[in-house]
Amino acid sequence: MTLQHIKTTLFLGIVLLSITSCKKFLEETPNNALPTETAITDAGTARAAIIGAYDRLQEYYAASYPTLGTITTDNVVFNGTLSQYLQLDQNAIPTDNVITVAAYQGIYRAINSANSVIAYVPAVNDPTLSNAEKDRILGEAYFIRALSYFDLARGWGGVQIQLEPTTSLDGLKGIKRSTLDQTYDQVLADLVRAEALLPEDATTRNRAQKSTVFALRARLHLYREQWADAENYATQVINNPKFALVKPYNAFFTAPFQSTESVLELAFSPNDRNAFWNLWYPSSAGGQYTLKPSEALVNKLNDPLVGGSRKSLLAGTGNTVYGVLYNTAGTSTDPAYLIRISELYLIRAEARAHLGKLTEAAAELNTIRLRAEVPPTQASTQAALLLAIEAENAVEFAFEAHRWFDLTRTGRAEAVLGLSNRNFWLFPLPLSDVQSDPDLTQNPGY
Amino acid sequence: MKSLFTKGFCVTLLALWAQLGAAQVNPATIKSRLQGTILDARTKQPLAGAVLKIKGTTHAVSADQDGKFTFNTGQAFPYTLQVSYIGYIQQETVVNGTPVTIFLEESQVQLSDIVVTGYSTQQRKYIASSISSVSGKIVQDQPSGGFNQLLQGKTTGVQVSSNSGVPGGGITFRVRGNNSINASVDPLYIIDGVFVSNADPITAGLGNQQASNPIADLNPSDIENIQILKDANATAIYGSLGANGVVIVTTKRGKRNTNARINFNTIQGWSAAVDKYDVANGPDVARLTNESRINTAIDNGIDPSTITLPFPNPESLPTYDRISGLFLTAKTSNYELSTQGGTDKSTYYISLGYLNQESIVKPSDYTRYAGRLNYDNFLNDKLKVGTSLNFTRSERNLSGSDNSPTGVINSALFPRSYLPIFNEDGTFARYGSFDNHLALIENLDNKAVGWRTIGNIYGEYSFLPELKLRSSWSIDNSSEYDNSYSNTLISAGIANRGSASSSENKNLVLTNEQVLTYIKTFGENKQHNLNALVGNTINTVLNEGTSATGTGFAANSLRSVAVAATRSGSSFRSSSKLLSFFSKVSYTYKNKYIIDGSIRADGSSKFGANKRWGYFPSGGVAWLVGEEAFIKNLNVFDELKLRASIGLSGNQNGIGAYAAQGLWSSGANYLEQPGIAPTQLANPDLTWETTRQFNLGAEFGILKNKLSIVADYYNKYTYDLLLNVPVPYRSGFASYLQNYGAVRNKGYELGINSTNIQTENFSWTTNFNVSFNKNKIEKLASDISLGASGRNISILKQGYAVNSFQLYKQLSVDPQTGNAVYDDVNNDGIITSADRQIVGNALPDYTGGLTNNITYKGLDFSFFFYFQKGNKIMNMNDFFMVHGGTQANIGFLPRQLERWQQPGDVTDIPRLTTYSGNPTANGGAANNYGGNVASLSSRYLEDGSFLRLKTLTLGYTFPTVVSRKIGMNKLRIYAQGTNLLTFTKYGGLDPEVSSQSNNQNTAGYDWATVPQPRTFQVGASVTF
Repeated sequence: MTLQHIKTTLFLGIVLLSITSCKKFLEETPNNALPTETAITDAGTARAAIIGAYDRLQEYYAASYPTLGTITTDNVVFNGTLSQYLQLDQNAIPTDNVITVAAYQGIYRAINSANSVIAYVPAVNDPTLSNAEKDRILGEAYFIRALSYFDLARGWGGVQIQLEPTTSLDGLKGIKRSTLDQTYDQVLADLVRAEALLPEDATTRNRAQKSTVFALRARLHLYREQWADAENYATQVINNPKFALVKPYNAFFTAPFQSTESVLELAFSPNDRNAFWNLWYPSSAGGQYTLKPSEALVNKLNDPLVGGSRKSLLAGTGNTVYGVLYNTAGTSTDPAYLIRISELYLIRAEARAHLGKLTEAAAELNTIRLRAEVPPTQASTQAALLLAIEAENAVEFAFEAHRWFDLTRTGRAEAVLGLSNRNFWLFPLPLSDVQSDPDLTQNPGY
Repeated sequence: MKSLFTKGFCVTLLALWAQLGAAQVNPATIKSRLQGTILDARTKQPLAGAVLKIKGTTHAVSADQDGKFTFNTGQAFPYTLQVSYIGYIQQETVVNGTPVTIFLEESQVQLSDIVVTGYSTQQRKYIASSISSVSGKIVQDQPSGGFNQLLQGKTTGVQVSSNSGVPGGGITFRVRGNNSINASVDPLYIIDGVFVSNADPITAGLGNQQASNPIADLNPSDIENIQILKDANATAIYGSLGANGVVIVTTKRGKRNTNARINFNTIQGWSAAVDKYDVANGPDVARLTNESRINTAIDNGIDPSTITLPFPNPESLPTYDRISGLFLTAKTSNYELSTQGGTDKSTYYISLGYLNQESIVKPSDYTRYAGRLNYDNFLNDKLKVGTSLNFTRSERNLSGSDNSPTGVINSALFPRSYLPIFNEDGTFARYGSFDNHLALIENLDNKAVGWRTIGNIYGEYSFLPELKLRSSWSIDNSSEYDNSYSNTLISAGIANRGSASSSENKNLVLTNEQVLTYIKTFGENKQHNLNALVGNTINTVLNEGTSATGTGFAANSLRSVAVAATRSGSSFRSSSKLLSFFSKVSYTYKNKYIIDGSIRADGSSKFGANKRWGYFPSGGVAWLVGEEAFIKNLNVFDELKLRASIGLSGNQNGIGAYAAQGLWSSGANYLEQPGIAPTQLANPDLTWETTRQFNLGAEFGILKNKLSIVADYYNKYTYDLLLNVPVPYRSGFASYLQNYGAVRNKGYELGINSTNIQTENFSWTTNFNVSFNKNKIEKLASDISLGASGRNISILKQGYAVNSFQLYKQLSVDPQTGNAVYDDVNNDGIITSADRQIVGNALPDYTGGLTNNITYKGLDFSFFFYFQKGNKIMNMNDFFMVHGGTQANIGFLPRQLERWQQPGDVTDIPRLTTYSGNPTANGGAANNYGGNVASLSSRYLEDGSFLRLKTLTLGYTFPTVVSRKIGMNKLRIYAQGTNLLTFTKYGGLDPEVSSQSNNQNTAGYDWATVPQPRTFQVGASVTF
């Protein structure tokens, strides 16, 4: 063999060696994500997965869901440039409206996270994950799924119910929309399971606990006009010494938050921001000023007989009055207020009014009015009381995801908002879903 | 990767050095010494760098600065000398004594050019592919800051335009149309063999506009020539990277045996806006607002006399001019110093360049420092090593606009003109969502500093005269360091007492490549010509970045994130690899019949484990009909060539590095605890997007080649699109990346070069080119709507072109009621989103250019027109500012004054109103500006066709006798005007605009964007 041959052989040998390592060479994995197959396998990833489900709740509750509950009503008007907000304000919502699409998509993302926890955590076999903790994680997942379906039902009506995590598109086929009742039944079923699994302590307000389940049940029964159940579950929360109305009114939305007012309040931090304030503040204060308190609401809040201390929801003067429920302009750490104890009082007031317990109903209402430093209600008949409760809800939860859902569930959206076409009391299903999902039918009128 | 890269390095180095050892040449005995001069046959000018060799040997020398050479050889006289020089006809001369003078004839036709094709160079004549070439000479004659301006309208098959008038900003560069939807549509750029990254490394928020372009870092003066590979036969050799066309840039290199030449260029330029925004004055805004309020009251059934008008006395309102504070006369300065030359053994080209360009809208600017070293060393007759290195530092002062309400232009254009710019206490006044433009201009501090190294080291070894191995290692390393600070005087910094961000992004592309080339001519009369190659590449792309943000500063002079009250950080990393093997064979018979074929295999780490490898073959044939006797006898054609090709090329750019994997992302945190959540569905079958292209071409020259014409037809079909197919949201996901869908581009191209007059002192040449392209989405899972910040004005729909606009088609404004009437597409009597339709698209039907060059002695004069026809522009400025009163914080454009006012008025601007009842009624008041239509009316979509005198240049080169007297070899001075004339029907400031350019599917928006300026510049070029 000549020297030349040796060289050639050597060369070819190394080339061949390189080729055999090709397969491995082409394998790349990210350093910020886990493969789906091994996502939930131990105590650490089980904990992380339920945290991830809360993160998904944060996503739709930070801005889009409260926007849907406010700008659609007489409380808030459009004052920016982005037409998706104008569409909501005018209640002329196209099927591709960005805010409704974002909320709808965000809710199902939360559901998929919760479904994954429910499907995979029971199989985790890790000595550092106690059964009690496992139960808590599962209970939270059931609660999150219940809340998510509840939020879908009151916005869009009966929806398609997904109870398994999505690992491929094949599993999606054949699931049609359920009725509103069926959706609410699913919410109830999940709440019942969550109640059995969740603990209760004296301080936690930023994660689901037994009392949180009761609060959502009270609301669910109210929406379903099951007055006695609503009264019962509201009472269970009100009687828990963990919760109390704070005074003055603005104490609950003043840092450090997590006041006794809150039954469920999703916390944000400098590392996990919520810049919803930006939509409320004028540009002279660093915001975009897309959402502006309506003249009517400003008058109500400034009226000592209506708003009382709730006028602290407003700042600014003249043409630049703006809402300050979300006010951490410097740090963007405003919580998302999901359930406050004052809502439970008003749920019980409404339930009792319907049950004919007018005096008790008025007393509940006056508890809320007293805290807001306005005089007791003059209403004495059932009809007047119900109107008074509706009016109280409007100012008590002026910038939270309430007014729209209150007016549509009580059938008052036409009388109050002039929205005579009942089709528009439900949001449209996203255009892209209607196009890509043969199992989905659009809400009528869209 | 690192190990493999090292492995490749070792192997090749070993092979090279082993051969080097074996191939040492014994010093030959000198038997003859030939001296002589090589001159241009027509001008009698010396041809520095012309190469001589004895026929059949490899020993070559080249002529020096004065065209002189000395050739020592072991052969005795007489022998046959081959003399060649690029652009001249090769000559064979029998020499029998010294000295000699050799005259070379300039080759008139481009058919004889040497063309850099995929991995090899070939004579244009013998290529069966469709390739456009642009000579670097244009750069010297018509300098500009960016490479893109050089290519616009200069050749067929490419559409090049700037997205805005911001220097160094984004460009649109398409070769034969948009091939893809979610994968990249940008061509592959190769600079001196380096695969250059297409990524825009700048992360600073700029609205939806691209802040940079991948080739802005190249100093155009360094360019020797540019080749654009268009058809599959040319691009298939780049396999997975070539589907969108390939742009090969070759930079200047020194020539052997030439004296050092030093060249100095300078340009000084001044730019100004051709038109400025015109907004309604204070009293007009007040009148329109009052009118809208009155009409709304009527629509609501309220007696208008009972309402309070917002402006009881419109005449009394002042007008504040914000627009003039926006624009300035922008200065451009450019200085370049370069030297080139070579000895018998080595050549060099070294250059330094400095460019500073201001934007005509304050406060952005662009500065580029560029350095280049090209060096080749002929170690011996067989081994050549060399390097091309480019270092660039770019500095940008960035300023956001388009869809950002706190952008500079937005803050000047949109606020109502009766509102004062300053508050009574002298502070900056702000309204609605907008910032104060002067506050922004004075306080914006948004700097992006990029460092980029594009480099290549190669070794080339000739085993035999016909067998060559080339190995090269390339790097494209860019590091982008962006720092921004919003102080408490601008909106973004008010609430949080100052906010700062700092980010560093690194993008590293490493490529190792081996190519073994075999070129052989053999047989009787040398009738067989074979050109074959085989090779491989290993390519790694690594993207990494870290960023930090901070808010809350003690004082505005403290801008470091480190001293912020609240700080947070983030980082990312992604890495992908590509492994390729390729081969190409080209065979020419009797210099008339050409057939070639190539194949490439690519494996990409981005794809699913099942389908990583793609195979991309291509083939072409060409027939030099002009060489046939029956054509020669016609005495019409000097050249005539027909060619056809077909082939496949692939695309994987533009998708994520881990796009095929099922993933749960981390970072879904809550309560300061780490969270994970599902983010991506797995697709193990994800594979290449493939483009099949068929091309037919003809090239011919007549009238002694004074008129040469190139015509091409192509049909490109891209299938298995890498498409983000929308999936039902109930899955918890929004889309699923899969191979679905198809796009077709077909078109014609025509290029004409004409030498109208050519005498000793006077010449006039004309170049005309036009390219037609028709784009159509052939298959798509479902419509995809996007664009304009959620307004979904752009749509991708089967049967229509990409970049289509979907709007409500306004048929008329009812002369009786003044309400807009829309096309009720589904005839259901009401207006719903189902009545939105495609009313045009942003792609031009054709684009082209016309260049004329005239020289008389030392004077040169040229002018260049660019045109495009048939594209639509969505005028978002009109969309916002012709709002009928629905936008309480936005002023009006004068177009709003053309609104309907009384029965009988005929106009396309409906009656002012903000009425919102009954939003589905067609011809009802709600849909004039709000309602279901929400101003998404075709009345804001305009024709964007234009014809523009892009450049006009007048130059003078001093006679050599004069310049020599003052110690220079050459001196040219010139003046140039850019964008001097524009013919267009477009109502906005500038039709060459694309504000939403961050997404390739949202082209054609004009939204508070810096227009192309009119520029006047003077320059001088000196050679010592």
